[in-house]
Amino acid sequence: MKLGILWSAVAIASAATMLGGTPARAEKSDKAITVVLAVELDSLDPCDTQPAQNANVVRGNVFESLTRVSPVNGKVEPLLADSWKQTSDKTWEFKLKKGVKFHDGTDFNAAAAAANIMRTQGGSNFPGLACLNSGQIPTPVTAEAVDDLTLNVTTTVVDPILPLRLSYVDIGDLVSQTKPDKVLNPVGTGPYKFVSRKQGDAVKLTRFDGYWGTAPQIKDVTYIVRKEASVRASMVETGEAQIALSIQAQDATDDDRTVTFKDNRIFVMRPMTFKEPFKDPRVRQALSYAIDRDTIVPAILGITGAPYYQMLGPQVNAYLPDYDSAGAMKYDPAKAKELIAAAKADGHAVDTPFDIVTRPDILPDGGELVQAIAQNLREVGLQANIKSMENTAWREFLRQPFPPEQPPTLQMISHDNTSGDASFSFPKYITCKGINSAICNPEIDKLVAAADVAAGDERDQLYRKAAEILYKDGGFIGIAEQIRLIMLGEGVNYKANPLSGLEVRIADVQLN
Amino acid sequence: MLTYLGRRLLSGFITLLGVIIVVFFLSRLTGSPIDLFFPEGAEPAQIEAFNRAYGLDKPLIEQFGIFLVNVGQGDFGTSIWQQRPAMEAALSEMPMTLVLASIAMSISILVALVLGSLAAVYRFRAIDRIVTILSLMTSSMPHFWFALVGILIFAVQLRLLPTSGSNSWMSWILPVATVSIGPIGVLTQVVRGAMIDVLSSGYIRNARARGFSGRRVVYRHALRNAALPIISVAGDIAAGMVNGAVIVSVVFAFPGIGRLIVGAILNRDFPVLQASVVVVGVSIILLNLLIDLICTVVDPRIRLT
Repeated sequence: MKLGILWSAVAIASAATMLGGTPARAEKSDKAITVVLAVELDSLDPCDTQPAQNANVVRGNVFESLTRVSPVNGKVEPLLADSWKQTSDKTWEFKLKKGVKFHDGTDFNAAAAAANIMRTQGGSNFPGLACLNSGQIPTPVTAEAVDDLTLNVTTTVVDPILPLRLSYVDIGDLVSQTKPDKVLNPVGTGPYKFVSRKQGDAVKLTRFDGYWGTAPQIKDVTYIVRKEASVRASMVETGEAQIALSIQAQDATDDDRTVTFKDNRIFVMRPMTFKEPFKDPRVRQALSYAIDRDTIVPAILGITGAPYYQMLGPQVNAYLPDYDSAGAMKYDPAKAKELIAAAKADGHAVDTPFDIVTRPDILPDGGELVQAIAQNLREVGLQANIKSMENTAWREFLRQPFPPEQPPTLQMISHDNTSGDASFSFPKYITCKGINSAICNPEIDKLVAAADVAAGDERDQLYRKAAEILYKDGGFIGIAEQIRLIMLGEGVNYKANPLSGLEVRIADVQLN
Repeated sequence: MLTYLGRRLLSGFITLLGVIIVVFFLSRLTGSPIDLFFPEGAEPAQIEAFNRAYGLDKPLIEQFGIFLVNVGQGDFGTSIWQQRPAMEAALSEMPMTLVLASIAMSISILVALVLGSLAAVYRFRAIDRIVTILSLMTSSMPHFWFALVGILIFAVQLRLLPTSGSNSWMSWILPVATVSIGPIGVLTQVVRGAMIDVLSSGYIRNARARGFSGRRVVYRHALRNAALPIISVAGDIAAGMVNGAVIVSVVFAFPGIGRLIVGAILNRDFPVLQASVVVVGVSIILLNLLIDLICTVVDPRIRLT
């Protein structure tokens, strides 16, 4: 199925570099590296690999999935599954790769794959189990082994993107997948096997010599955590680490040791459309016109951000390729004031104060950016107050149901979608019943519902239509496309790609 | 003495119980850990099963009752976040905090004694002014800034020390310096003030008149009599160090109870938070008792009643 993905210049350049400039895989060596992360991993379970802090360590290293999203072109490609086909509206048959072993020597087979798919969804067979990956399978599926290498997966609704969803189901060994207890000693099929974890200290992996694919060059990997970005960068400078993730602009070097990539993470604003002053779409449009992205984004985010107007990135099938050049509500404070005045003339309480709800860690230099946004909004007459809070409190404002006594909010969100499909974003964020939605437009709901069960170009077009209405309605307002930085030590080669925010495959790292 | 100790322990226990109650209820006001362990839109049945498994489905008062009964049996529950006994998590982090605090406190006291005494002896002279300025600077220096500047200079530029971690003795230098710098400044001023008072007293003049050397007068006579206020202030500072040295934990990734408490709060790991509070509370109670005992050794006129 085509995902209809369009790529930014950076992604194209990255892909070209990868395709043209990727060095041939070096021979196996005894070399070891240290990777320094910003956030400590909190679970080694294959059903918890969705958050970046877990994915950074285990995805693509310890665990693999049946399919994967290509970092080059965004298409779904085989991984532990060799091929698949849809045998009926709701049933898919997967043919699995032969000869794959788990790290404990047991065979990877359809029974193991089925067990992982069922356990990820939780349910009464796994009392008390909470899996962070379960959100990637929004409606229940049933997985059954037909034989050792044939797996049938049956959905409860028509789901044209099931193979894409299964790229988020990582595969652990069969024994662990029959229990509700969280896995503490992960066993996967990836090129690296788990050695040890000391809470608050380090996670160690070592090369798996029985790996089915090409053996990686690096033998041992140690993951450590340093919360301070400058400390992470310093560790690479001094040689204490070879790769540092989530570097900030002020720590970046001017040479090729600092690698940039876009992972489709967009900084957006979500007005609460049910309450004044945001009830009228003209006021919501005014929000976009009021913000001088071309000035504040480069000035504050530097190389870590670029002005942006949409909710989803260029890789996603709901991206509107012409929107930025024609249609985007670019900085025009006079227009913003005019719209606000018109809404006021029609009786809307545009002077109602509202809270800009944000988090200190929402993005690097996010605090300053939000202050600049608030200033822009005040300049056109809106009464914006900033409320910065930690993650768990911020989420209370993000999710429905919104308490009636809650004041009107403009929620700042850093939203990423590396899947390429808007079904991972739109149902949750822009439909009437979406858990993170503050908008209810029946036309959008109808288009999203139709798109969710459509395939190919039709699916893409429906999502794009929904996006057009969303942006015109001011339901979500894009501010900046985030650019992420990784710092590499001397002699370390790694080509970052749009998936590097989640998955840093050590097998793709080469040492001189 | 025993009566005094018994009374102090009892009042410490009552204080600790109060802290436990406050922490128990306040931490639960931050919300449920559900958000951190389930994706958005998780099935209600799954959430109910999770709540049942961790006793979060019961009324708060009932949860507190169960907690108290369990604590009475030494069971602080299992960490939702770390999947191990909560008290094990807390006790595993405390030794590093105690060692770091002990080293930092020892250095702070030693340096403060020397500098404060010099400033007092050479009062109003250049050395006094330099020591005063330095102590004011160090006592008001932001720890976070000092830590980062220390890394930049000694680790990145000079390559003399590691940036962070705790794997070698050299990796302790910057964290200890960061934790000590503020107390050195504060204690130096306390020492200086106490020594000035003592050095102007009659028995010191007497000692000088009898021909004792300056060093003997200062270190054998004056310092001993100035020790009490220094010990009291040092005790307060040490209690603060036991509380966590959180900055050191964050910047240097140095293990310690402070980092554990911050992590428990952010992850809504109530069992670990409660266990950590108990461990820290008991440490501070014992530390205060130790300070009282030291005072009686330094000044035999003090009787604990």
